[in-house]
Amino acid sequence: MALPKVPLWYKDAVIYQVHVRAMYDSNGDGIGDFRGLAQKLDYLQELGISAIWLMPFFPSPLRDDGYDISDYRSVHPSYGTLEDFQLFLHAARDRGIRVVIEMVLNHTSDQHPWFQESRSSLNNPRRDWYVWSDSDTRYRGARIIFLDTEMSNWAWDPISKQYYWHRFFSHQPDLNYDNPAVREEMWNVMKFWLEMGVDGFRLDAVPYLFEREGTNCENLPETHGVIKELRRRLDENFPGRMLLAEANQWPADLLPYFGKGDEFHMAFHFPLMPRMFMGLKLEDRKPITEILQQTPKIPDTCQWCLFLRNHDELTLEMVTDMERDYMYDVYANEKAMRLNLGIRRRLAPLLDNDRRRIELMNGLLMSLPGTPVIYYGDEIGMGDNIFLGDRNGVRTPMQWDGGWNAGFSSSDPESLYSALIMNPIYGYQSVNVTSQRRLQHSLLSWMRRLLQVRKSTPIFGRGSIEFLYPDNHRVLAYVRQLGEETILAVNNLSASAQAVELDLQRFKGNILVEMFGRNIFPRIGELPYLLTMGPYQFYWFRLRRI
Amino acid sequence: MAEDNILSDDLLRQLISVGEVDILVGLHTHNHAKTIGHVVQVIREGLLKYFPRERVAVLNADGGSVDGTRELVRAASITDLRRENSFYTLRTLHCISSQYGTNVSNGTAMHIIAAAADLLRARACAVIAPESSEIRPDWMDQLLGPVYRDNADFVAPVYRRQRFEGILVTNLLYPVTRALYGKSIREPRPGEFAFSDLLGSRLVGHPMWSQDAGRLGPEVCLTLEALAEGHRIVQAFLGPKGQAERPAPDLVAALRQTVGPLFWSMENASGAWSSPAEAPTLLTIGPTFDVSTDGMANVDLARLHQMFCSGAKDLESVLKSIVSADTLSQLQYAASLDEAHFHLSEELWAKAVYEFASAYHRSAISRDHIIQALAPLYRGRAYTFVTENLNAAPDALGERIEALCVTFERFKPYLLELWSAPERGS
Repeated sequence: MALPKVPLWYKDAVIYQVHVRAMYDSNGDGIGDFRGLAQKLDYLQELGISAIWLMPFFPSPLRDDGYDISDYRSVHPSYGTLEDFQLFLHAARDRGIRVVIEMVLNHTSDQHPWFQESRSSLNNPRRDWYVWSDSDTRYRGARIIFLDTEMSNWAWDPISKQYYWHRFFSHQPDLNYDNPAVREEMWNVMKFWLEMGVDGFRLDAVPYLFEREGTNCENLPETHGVIKELRRRLDENFPGRMLLAEANQWPADLLPYFGKGDEFHMAFHFPLMPRMFMGLKLEDRKPITEILQQTPKIPDTCQWCLFLRNHDELTLEMVTDMERDYMYDVYANEKAMRLNLGIRRRLAPLLDNDRRRIELMNGLLMSLPGTPVIYYGDEIGMGDNIFLGDRNGVRTPMQWDGGWNAGFSSSDPESLYSALIMNPIYGYQSVNVTSQRRLQHSLLSWMRRLLQVRKSTPIFGRGSIEFLYPDNHRVLAYVRQLGEETILAVNNLSASAQAVELDLQRFKGNILVEMFGRNIFPRIGELPYLLTMGPYQFYWFRLRRI
Repeated sequence: MAEDNILSDDLLRQLISVGEVDILVGLHTHNHAKTIGHVVQVIREGLLKYFPRERVAVLNADGGSVDGTRELVRAASITDLRRENSFYTLRTLHCISSQYGTNVSNGTAMHIIAAAADLLRARACAVIAPESSEIRPDWMDQLLGPVYRDNADFVAPVYRRQRFEGILVTNLLYPVTRALYGKSIREPRPGEFAFSDLLGSRLVGHPMWSQDAGRLGPEVCLTLEALAEGHRIVQAFLGPKGQAERPAPDLVAALRQTVGPLFWSMENASGAWSSPAEAPTLLTIGPTFDVSTDGMANVDLARLHQMFCSGAKDLESVLKSIVSADTLSQLQYAASLDEAHFHLSEELWAKAVYEFASAYHRSAISRDHIIQALAPLYRGRAYTFVTENLNAAPDALGERIEALCVTFERFKPYLLELWSAPERGS
């Protein structure tokens, strides 16, 4: 079934990020697969999401959870076959759900045949598909990203007796984008999946495609040349498909990735995310409003992608040292919670499983300008296991029910790809889909309602934003507008009740209609509009003139 | 409660916006535009440096400035609307300002600050003089640190004074306070100080606010209250006080602001000083005494002598109601001496001060007249102190003051006897 051709569909989307491995195991081998994921599409449709972003599912030695790819045109056998993927894809489309897949452009696994060939000899035709050097002293300006495990961006290859460049793990050699053959082949890979029907790609690690001496090897102009070319070919051959950039950069540095609307359609707003958590803990909107004040205007056809958590550590790369220290102290007081420059915890544990805070943060996610991404499991408040190593603690099996293996798999528990979360607070007996489906006021039920309200208007995805600056700094208030429609969002970031006076004089005469209960609030008059708010409460008001 | 009447709607609205804070810094101003900008900037720098994660606010209680003082205070706010490129802050810093009226009153301002600190549940509150030209960012740490981090209730300053600066403090306030409570609070009338939420909550409904003592000299009352209630007190050395040029109040006004509150506080808590209970040891951070010999105070010795002599003579009938016959006789003798021979001894001075205190306690005559009548005696004492220490080295000066304190301590039984005596005969 073809999905309706909606221009800029990604602006209206609510994206669900999931790893096929973690969702549902259909064949009892302890690992989630595409047939299993297809069986859970009804759940996702019921939740109200409109797009799925699949984490890497290509063949891989899985030393970086699939981001180390050894074959770009197939499916990892643990997850099924290409046919299984296609079945899933069609089932998703039947339910009006688009599918965005991961495309790791920057590097491959060292087990990829390309690298195996490249390293085999200095004369191999694929030698310069990767970045080789006699010494490890080039590109000194490039920072090390995986600080906890890597000492250098160069690794020695004992086979070809040269160093190869890797911005991530040493088993993930960087492809050489100065080589036109590499660029052409990566387009062909993308084309392979586009022809199958995927709706878009999340392009992983795009800032690092090129290296140049005397630079920090990030965000180089050549990168944009590659992206522009990919985008041109995409628009020409597959109109309506989407490119999403994973570029952990300051907003001003992200702007070039949109080009003039001729590069990425979307980019993650990385700097906003930690500041949402910071603002909540500080009980002060300042970190949030300031980063959005610094966020430049992007082309009309482009969109920010917002998120609270994902498969990686909550990154603290794009914050100041003072902010990082603060975040570590308040959100990751145990060293085991910290990884690289971030915090490897899920949403609910970060917020002390406080339902009010979880709701507030999701309310912000859904009402700030951008396309929201929900990380699988956060809709039911799943917990984490910081002792699983790397970032595996936030990638545990989905908790479907309180029974055998949380309803994830019929296999022996010992054969599961990952241990389940089992503690009394977040364990699958307490936190699972089945239980929450039965409760009208569960987090899951609330999230469904939240998405319903969000989707009731295109304002949240497409509207402008203007901050109000009430004197009470614990209240974050903003107006979203699109055409004649106006929505007022008011958020109490504080653990205590607050009174706030909002200057709404230019909307004088409008009645406020609260969007969840649809109750009427007093008309806006001459005086500042007084609201009193409970701890962590938020309001979405539609303004109506009657 | 009293604070219901002293917090205007405007201020209340601003306090609601500020919300709960960890630290509040208060300023009382009246046409301080020349200095307040610098003072607030330094306060801000200190707060951001030493308390970067705490919820802090600056509150200005203004007595009706017409020179832009309040606007200068507000301009120091750091919010998401008013960002500073030179300052990065985690949090919003509110600098709020409100006019309490047009009758300038130290007491009203201090009461407002205490009430605000209580309402905002500030764990520590500092009060800073708006004309402190020598203020440094570390004053915030010195004053607030002991309260906020180390559970002190009151932090009093120690300043580096010029040789003859603050004679009223060194020759009266300090020795009396020390004799009463056995604690060497060098600045019983502090320009800068800090207090805890515990002490602050006691202040809010304190009877001093409805008295002249509280209206005119709240700092003295606060210091004496902290001593009387056995609060944990710390002294912190701040260095030179510095003060922008403003006309000094006349002596009678100064006495009303210092000695009046001192005597009133003695009256209000006589049980506490007459037999002081065991109180926490006074901790001092930094030197307890520091004198700068730079410059000389502008002291007109001849005038001091002349005003003592004329005062002792002209106020004889008033002094008869205040001091003992023996003291009066000695004062009259002193008044007969020329400058070269004039001397108001430490013993005579201590006795006289205690007799004045006792007279205040008995309301022998109008209390304000009692305070006024001390003026000529103070001038005589000031003359003696200056002439005796004209060329004294700082150490020697310190020893002289110490000796004076010992004299006051030695005469404390006399004070107790006076205080508890029935209506005095002549």
